[in-house]
Amino acid sequence: MAKQKLFHIVKRDHLGFGYKLLVYVGAVLLALAVGAVLLAILGVDPIKYYSSMITIGLPKSKFPESNIESLIKIFVPLLMTSTALALAFKMKFWNIGGEGQFIAGTIAAGFVALKFGPEMDFGLCLVLMMLSAMICAGLLGVFVAFLKVKFNTNETLLTLMLNYVVLYVLKFFAETKADWNLFLSTTSQRPMFANLNMKMPTIQLGRFHLDISLIIAVVITVLIFIYMKYTKQGYEINVVGDSSATASYAGMKVGRIIIRTTFISAAIIGLAGACSVSTANIMSTSITNDVGWTGIIVAWLAKLNIWGVTVVSLLISVLQYGCQFAGSSFSQVDAHFADILQGIILFFVLAADFLVRFKIMFHKKGGND
Amino acid sequence: MAAANYAIELRNIRKTFGSVVANDNINLNVKQGEILALLGENGSGKTTLMNMLSGIYKPDSGEILIDGKPCVINSPEDSKRFGIGMVHQHFKLVDVFSAADNILMGDNNGGFLLKKDRFKRITDVAERFGFEIDSKKLVKNMSVSEKQTLEIVKVLYYGAKVIILDEPTAVLTVQEIRKLFDVLRKMKEQGHSIIIITHKLNEVMEISDRVAILRKGVYIDTVETASATEQSLTEMMMGRKVDINIERPVMEKTAPLLEIRDLTVKGDEGSVAVDKLSFYIRGGEILGVAGIAGSGQKELCEAIAGLRKIESGMINYKGENLVGLPPKEIIQKGIAMSFVPEDRLGMGLAPSLSITDNVILKKYSEGASPFVDRKKGRELAEKVIEELEVVTPSTETPVRLLSGGNVQKVLLGREIKAEPNVIVTAYPVRGLDINSSYAIYDILNREKLKGTGILFVGEDLDVMLALCDKIMVICAGKLMGVVFSEKTTKEQLGLMMTGSLDISDKNGKIAGIAKDSNITEDCLREE
Repeated sequence: MAKQKLFHIVKRDHLGFGYKLLVYVGAVLLALAVGAVLLAILGVDPIKYYSSMITIGLPKSKFPESNIESLIKIFVPLLMTSTALALAFKMKFWNIGGEGQFIAGTIAAGFVALKFGPEMDFGLCLVLMMLSAMICAGLLGVFVAFLKVKFNTNETLLTLMLNYVVLYVLKFFAETKADWNLFLSTTSQRPMFANLNMKMPTIQLGRFHLDISLIIAVVITVLIFIYMKYTKQGYEINVVGDSSATASYAGMKVGRIIIRTTFISAAIIGLAGACSVSTANIMSTSITNDVGWTGIIVAWLAKLNIWGVTVVSLLISVLQYGCQFAGSSFSQVDAHFADILQGIILFFVLAADFLVRFKIMFHKKGGND
Repeated sequence: MAAANYAIELRNIRKTFGSVVANDNINLNVKQGEILALLGENGSGKTTLMNMLSGIYKPDSGEILIDGKPCVINSPEDSKRFGIGMVHQHFKLVDVFSAADNILMGDNNGGFLLKKDRFKRITDVAERFGFEIDSKKLVKNMSVSEKQTLEIVKVLYYGAKVIILDEPTAVLTVQEIRKLFDVLRKMKEQGHSIIIITHKLNEVMEISDRVAILRKGVYIDTVETASATEQSLTEMMMGRKVDINIERPVMEKTAPLLEIRDLTVKGDEGSVAVDKLSFYIRGGEILGVAGIAGSGQKELCEAIAGLRKIESGMINYKGENLVGLPPKEIIQKGIAMSFVPEDRLGMGLAPSLSITDNVILKKYSEGASPFVDRKKGRELAEKVIEELEVVTPSTETPVRLLSGGNVQKVLLGREIKAEPNVIVTAYPVRGLDINSSYAIYDILNREKLKGTGILFVGEDLDVMLALCDKIMVICAGKLMGVVFSEKTTKEQLGLMMTGSLDISDKNGKIAGIAKDSNITEDCLREE
């Protein structure tokens, strides 16, 4: 007689919010436990490491404000990029070109800063930087969207490859010493990006310097939430994402919606690039801090929900900055441990997803046999 | 007589999916050389039950006996070994393979190479069972009926003693059904056992020896067909008395609302799908469209709604040409199109969005405000839910969580609430149970009484004969004729559907052109 299977998988009807939360928190804790094993192997006390990571060094710091400022520098680009990606993903447009669009934004912003910065009004120039970054990145997105609408090309492939095209354009500017290359510092012997002199202003609150980009990021997030939830255009995005056949049946111009949404998504990522380059005040080939990739993870962990994106972005930022910080007191572990942890967490949360959607039923012994 | 006489016997079978009980307390048996009809509404668990016999699912409890011996069927391979063959409603065939290769594909002992004599071998096998198939013909060149024959030969080739047919007649014409039934009777004589899943009562009466009835997953009874009537079977299936007559109220006809003249439209592959088609709909009438699946119904609907490019011809609405207008303007003129595709959710609804968001689909852009007016949407959703008796927890429930009947009510409800003058509806009762189907027919009749012109693209000829005032038949996109439902028969329609009978140009009177047409010589010349 054939062998009985040990278990089978059954779809769940419904799960309460509390249970879901429990499952996901459990998944993150399990991921941290696996990370703890890795830490232990490296000879690091996991509890000490994690507590230093999660508190991002606030308790012992003489200037806790500066820790928060550094955290915000990581948080702002990640939040904006993830929000923008969630917008495109909602339409089932798989924009994995966040990296490229971000860099395109920084190149445009840097160009404006170096070309017009010296003789232009500071505020005006800053606005111009942002606008040019948005248009430049937005058009990069539109290029892909147009090809998709017109020739049904695969946007995943195109946005992915364009990441490298744009990155190498930036590298070209970084490494080519020539008179026309205004990106480089003229005083240095070896090729090196020039200082932009366009540092993003901050608001002084006691000893704390609040970066204006944080305000921009929060405003953008709120606007995108309203846009998605309440506007006609947001409604169109939802319908196109759910069923593009239904959208065209209802008389929507699907092609135009795809191009418009991709422009908005890419433009916000470009804006994130402009804010980052202005906060850093210098360009660099590692300016993105991989937000284009991390943003994809954040958007999916948050299930494309904008508030979820905000919370997850913050948690991931704490994780990244915490690992940087903890790395300074534990020399065996460097900041890349954050990448490992992110990967493990994603794995466990995906597994938790499965448990939320399905139930595993074990067969009782002695049933049919 | 001993139980060993049964080819298959199911005892106390139970199957659950999560908290849903799909099958409970099923006691079913089939004798050798018998045709058993399995009758039940959609969602009554017929397919789940048969999937357990074909090894796709496993029962939670209960026993399956084959030739009197208890068996565990763990996989489709097991099922094949036990001599059970299933012919699915949607054929499992590879389009670009020949008939022979489609059969031999599943042969694990066939060796590494394709041998040249395989075509003859398959032809021989088919002949032995009394089938004629061209074993070299590619599946993509076959008609629906040929494909079905091929599926049957396939299961016979692998030695099936018990053959399960899942709604085999759904896609066939009357003539093809008759041929299929002859085949089934022949197989029965050869000692095969046949289980035929269906919800068409007249077919049950015609072909089966016994009928087993399921209702909501629960086994009700098995009765001898000879001692049952259509009415008694319906009552067992529904659990109560029902009226199985469809009403056809008579309305005074008005002038033609929508006139289609010489319409030519291409299909997705670029071949002509609708070929110089002419017909018209008056207010207060239901015009049925009959034809074999894929005869151009979808392309016709899409062309009227402005979703498909029109190669030539005219769509005239109250004297105004609609050709070339964008879908939005056609909607605003009062022409509603709803098409229920095979997956039931594809066109017309956004499954993950709420009922509210779905009912505003065609009017969300009204007004200058950049925001969607969900308050009005919710009111509209509540009206649709109330008037059409949609069963749902709230207006904010995603449509995909509703049952099939309720999904289609939402779709139709939205179209009707837009107060259209012309309703084009394709397969509105596809996959619905009897109750929901009747609710939909009622809705359409109510619209008809308001003076709306309705184009009803359907599958079930019995329903169309009862519901529609006139029926037009298309074959390969060409008009075969328009007939009054009262004056025609299923046989005649069947012949027209296959193209054997063309009465579109009878006695010099060309069908599909109204005497009091709005299309004048002038507008034809302008074309």
